[in-house]
Amino acid sequence: MQLRNRAAYGFLAPYLMIFAAFWIWPIISSFLMSFQNTRVNPWVFSFGANWGRLFNDPAFYNALKNTMIILIIQVPVMITLATVMAVLLNSPLLRARGLFRFAFFAPIVVGEVAYAAVFRLMFNLDFGVINKLLNSVGIASISWFADAPAAMALLIIAVTWRWAGYNAILILAGLQSIPGDVYEAATLDRVGKARQFIYITLPLLKPIILFCVILSIIGSMQLFTEPFLITNRGGPGGGTETLGLFLYRQGFTSLNFGYASAIAYTMAALAILISLLNLWVGRDEK
Amino acid sequence: MAELSLRNVVKRFGSYEIIRNASLDVADGEFVVFVGPSGCGKSTLLRMIAGLEHITDGEIHIGDTLVNDVEPADRGIAMVFQSYALYPHMTVEQNLAFGLRMTGNPKADTERRVQRVADILQIKELMQRRPKQLSGGQRQRVAIGRAIVREPRVFLFDEPLSNLDAELRVQMRVEISRLHKELGTTMIYVTHDQTEAMTLADKIVVLRGGNIEQIGAPLDLYDNPANQFVAGFVGSPKMNFMSAEVVAADTDSITITLVNQGKIRLTLPMNNPPPALGEKVTLGVRPEHFAKAGQGDADMTVTVDVAEHLGNTSYIYANVAGGEQLIIEREESRNALKTDTLTIAIKSSHALLFDSAGNRLR
Repeated sequence: MQLRNRAAYGFLAPYLMIFAAFWIWPIISSFLMSFQNTRVNPWVFSFGANWGRLFNDPAFYNALKNTMIILIIQVPVMITLATVMAVLLNSPLLRARGLFRFAFFAPIVVGEVAYAAVFRLMFNLDFGVINKLLNSVGIASISWFADAPAAMALLIIAVTWRWAGYNAILILAGLQSIPGDVYEAATLDRVGKARQFIYITLPLLKPIILFCVILSIIGSMQLFTEPFLITNRGGPGGGTETLGLFLYRQGFTSLNFGYASAIAYTMAALAILISLLNLWVGRDEK
Repeated sequence: MAELSLRNVVKRFGSYEIIRNASLDVADGEFVVFVGPSGCGKSTLLRMIAGLEHITDGEIHIGDTLVNDVEPADRGIAMVFQSYALYPHMTVEQNLAFGLRMTGNPKADTERRVQRVADILQIKELMQRRPKQLSGGQRQRVAIGRAIVREPRVFLFDEPLSNLDAELRVQMRVEISRLHKELGTTMIYVTHDQTEAMTLADKIVVLRGGNIEQIGAPLDLYDNPANQFVAGFVGSPKMNFMSAEVVAADTDSITITLVNQGKIRLTLPMNNPPPALGEKVTLGVRPEHFAKAGQGDADMTVTVDVAEHLGNTSYIYANVAGGEQLIIEREESRNALKTDTLTIAIKSSHALLFDSAGNRLR
């Protein structure tokens, strides 16, 4: 090895050591752990203890189902909303653009606990502002925390509120990279605004939208904070338990690290699989 | 095809006037070039004709229609942008047909028009490529094709060749000229390159600072510039300007001295009222209008700085006192030009005179 390279690796060494100890080793370690029965002392190798259990565990299937429902409903709704917000932000007619940009971005700056507390208050059955609003238009109060579908809806609303602005800012960056004269050319081609959006803006935004979708899928697969803090640890009765929460319960409540590791690997594999599917569906022809 | 006219067109951004009272008539089928330095308002004027910029005041007519409030799409114009503005995600064929397809043009007619354009521009083999797979020249061809396919009444070109290299620029210039002959459609073309203007135009409109300085045929502008700006802008290499002073004036002639050329005296015929004695004026002589020593009305000796030999002709860059630089075109033997000093003559018949404000005196 040349001296120059040796010096470079020398400088990188502290980082590489920390990276190896706190990133690479846990990844390998948890993979090995997923093949061990960690409910006995000392741990013993057992394929069936975790992976065998995983495929027969109704609680796992419940968490998987909940996660998928959130993912399938929340991601498209949020990305659509984010695209609309980005287009509005990009409009030359908009005044106080900086203020709106900040307002859209603000939710992810707010602390998770604070935001969860506010949502719990707003959706409170008896004195929450949401039920008050629903009552005022003649809709009966909804028991957001006691009714499983309502609790799911609440989660979806909360996650969308928190992340739509963030995605809108990303999509806005994509919008601003489309040169204005392409739209002028389309205007002279007698193509109306709506068609310009469908035939020019959306295709040109495809890469950035795909990026947002994949980020959101990964985020949804790992969803933990909202069901933990807003819907009382996946309540009612596991009705909003997600894979992230299920993993936490197995690992840190039941202290079954082997099973938690198997769940973690399943989540990662699913996220990769769904992301690849998206990339494949959104690929450029030819 | 259509004629086009501008009547006292004004464009203001806040209190800043980009275009001042522009009036212009373009005949049906004419090739008009807007030329001028950066920021003179030529592109703004073009975009106002296209409808991409609103006009603050005045009237624009295309054919018999006042189009001030007509949407760009309904003006019957097509525009070629400097940046090409092709749809990046569409193939060449889709780029050409997009507008027609979106407006519900019959499929067979769209195909026929796209095929015709592909033939005219020789881009048949590129039809399935995306813009990023094309060279600059090919992209420009497609951009022109997209304009032709709409069969507009007026073509607008916004500096279409300025992103191309020199060789390609000449080639495309010839093609655009050929296209104009073939289609016979009214074309308005914006450029900052006076060579493009001279070679393409039936009529040149010279702009400066939002004002139309002169409108005329290329050679009229060359031979009879309205002012010092036009004289300096049209022609390459540029016209030489020399500081002078009026020393005598008669009813039909004026005598000046060149202040930086050792008080050389020159008498010029003059029809217009002469300026006052002692007034500062500027003498303008084109590089090819210097004569050999003794063959003009006044001889002058200059110091040769650099000589450029182009084969058929040579340009001598000469310094004179007072920081003035002259460019002299000579077609004689190259060896004869390898000297440190050169004596040339000014012919009064080929000399122009401007007052201190740049207005033409003769």
